[in-house]
Amino acid sequence: MASEYDDGPRGDASRGWDDRWLRLKWRVMDGVLELKGALPSGLFRSRRNGLGYAFLLPGVVLVGFLFAGMVLLLQYSFLTYDPYEFIIYEYTLENWVEALTNDAFRTVFLRTLKLSLVVTVLSVVFGFPYAYLTVRAESELLRKSLLAGVFVPFFTGTIVRAYGWLIILGKRGLVNSVATGLGTGRVDVFGTETAVVIGLFQLMLPFAILMLVPAIRTIDRSLERAAVSLGADRLRTFRYVVVPLSKPGITAASIVVFTISMANFAIPWFLGAGTVDFMANFIHSILLRSSNYPLASALSVALVMVTSTIVLAVFYFVGAGTMGLTVEEDTIQGGGGQ
Amino acid sequence: MTVSRWATGKVVRDHPFLSAIVALELVFLALPSLIVLVTSFSGGETLAFPPESLSVRWYAAIPGASDYIGAFANSIYAATLCTAIAVPAGVLTAIGLIRYDVRFKNLTQVYLLLPFTVPLVVSGVILFIIFGRLGWLDNIWAVGLALAIINLPFMLWSVTSSVNGIDPSIENAAKSLGAEELQTFVHVTFPQILPGVVTGALLMFILGLNEFIVSLFITSSGIYTLPVQLYTSIRGNVSPLIAAVSSVYVLVAMLAIVVADRVVGLQRLLHS
Repeated sequence: MASEYDDGPRGDASRGWDDRWLRLKWRVMDGVLELKGALPSGLFRSRRNGLGYAFLLPGVVLVGFLFAGMVLLLQYSFLTYDPYEFIIYEYTLENWVEALTNDAFRTVFLRTLKLSLVVTVLSVVFGFPYAYLTVRAESELLRKSLLAGVFVPFFTGTIVRAYGWLIILGKRGLVNSVATGLGTGRVDVFGTETAVVIGLFQLMLPFAILMLVPAIRTIDRSLERAAVSLGADRLRTFRYVVVPLSKPGITAASIVVFTISMANFAIPWFLGAGTVDFMANFIHSILLRSSNYPLASALSVALVMVTSTIVLAVFYFVGAGTMGLTVEEDTIQGGGGQ
Repeated sequence: MTVSRWATGKVVRDHPFLSAIVALELVFLALPSLIVLVTSFSGGETLAFPPESLSVRWYAAIPGASDYIGAFANSIYAATLCTAIAVPAGVLTAIGLIRYDVRFKNLTQVYLLLPFTVPLVVSGVILFIIFGRLGWLDNIWAVGLALAIINLPFMLWSVTSSVNGIDPSIENAAKSLGAEELQTFVHVTFPQILPGVVTGALLMFILGLNEFIVSLFITSSGIYTLPVQLYTSIRGNVSPLIAAVSSVYVLVAMLAIVVADRVVGLQRLLHS
């Protein structure tokens, strides 16, 4: 790249082909610039102009599907359900009454909330040492192994991992064959909340670690050394220096793990054996089995409202963590730019 | 365990307790994928752990399993389309958001992260309804579009970290040396954001290949993507063929890590 505008004398041997290629590139660039000059010049002159908005357009259109969809969901949630026509355009509060008073719904909702919170705490607590060691590892091999240990499961996807856990925790799975082998009797973890928490914890741990690493990386090591030299032991250094300074990462990790857990479908489906359904399973069956669009919409809107209320509350009280996109935010770095 | 044997680093010696926990976590993280890999080499007719005998017969059966092959082709198509849509859209959006003086920047940001904040199952419901009204359901290209929509924030995070990292003085230097604005972009700005773009593209493809819940809503039999096909097959089916097909994902994941490490470095993946 550097030599492209280099007009100085060069060795004759390499000249011919290189020069012809360079001239072609220049000609193309000149052509483009000429074309640009022919366009109304106001388009490009200043930074405060339409071009920035034009750049945003593709992203805005893509997200527009979801935005329009949210509005549509809100409307659907007030329409009337009919077993034959599915939707009748008569406004009613029936779906919301159903959503708020139905016991089955409340049970599923509270279970989703409770288990998601458990998984969030587990993922952040156990993700922290992992992220810390990843950042502080001196050996390249160790750091890469730890990163690969996170990225391989992250890239393997929900279904395959749920399947793996099914083989391990299932009725005739690994755990039970080991238990019968040892003569300790069957371990009936399959179809329990414990099984769902184990599966979901393994699913979410990489997310927590990935959100924690950039935050821990910004901590100046000399602060830890200072604490140690002032007489703090490892645990205290961790408790009073490392953890408080990682707060943006802890916030981001908690939010990401919590919101993704709240919406999970596959783990409860495979490991819950129909008895530990989450909101996602519930909504899916209402929409696709009974085609009750209005009730499914009301439940979806309710899920969004509860999740975003909790997330906004965290943002409000703790700050946005490392989730922002632009540097203007107080705690920058969409995952830690340098 | 394994970690402490490899590492001669000081951190591990300084934090023995912490390192032991991390070693256990490493095993825990790898466990389901390892189990799937091991069972895929099972010689028997049904899933059993540990397998009674070892063979590659289930891998040999994959080419004949047309359901899975078709679903895999669908997944590749959808993931490719997702990448092709999300990468240019993400790059332009990130540049527009950061380098230009647009109004309502924070609001735009919140809006653009919507696919991440809306729970995936709700995105599934939404796209099921909207695509249903547009008559787009049961098209693989629609799956690709849906994947681009829901994964866009990951692309944005990946590119914005690069755009934020650009030192404006380098661009100014180029301009003061006589480079035109467009030349500056092509020769100075773009090469600097390229690692972020490559990382984002890799993420888009892998996430697209793995996406499950939204595809579940907007596809039906015949145009299933591989995760949905696996989902419909797994329950009540004990054939190790599923494990063999699933291992393809584990292998793809490992391959992606190696590629990422070679091309941009594993560290780089963290910036997204």
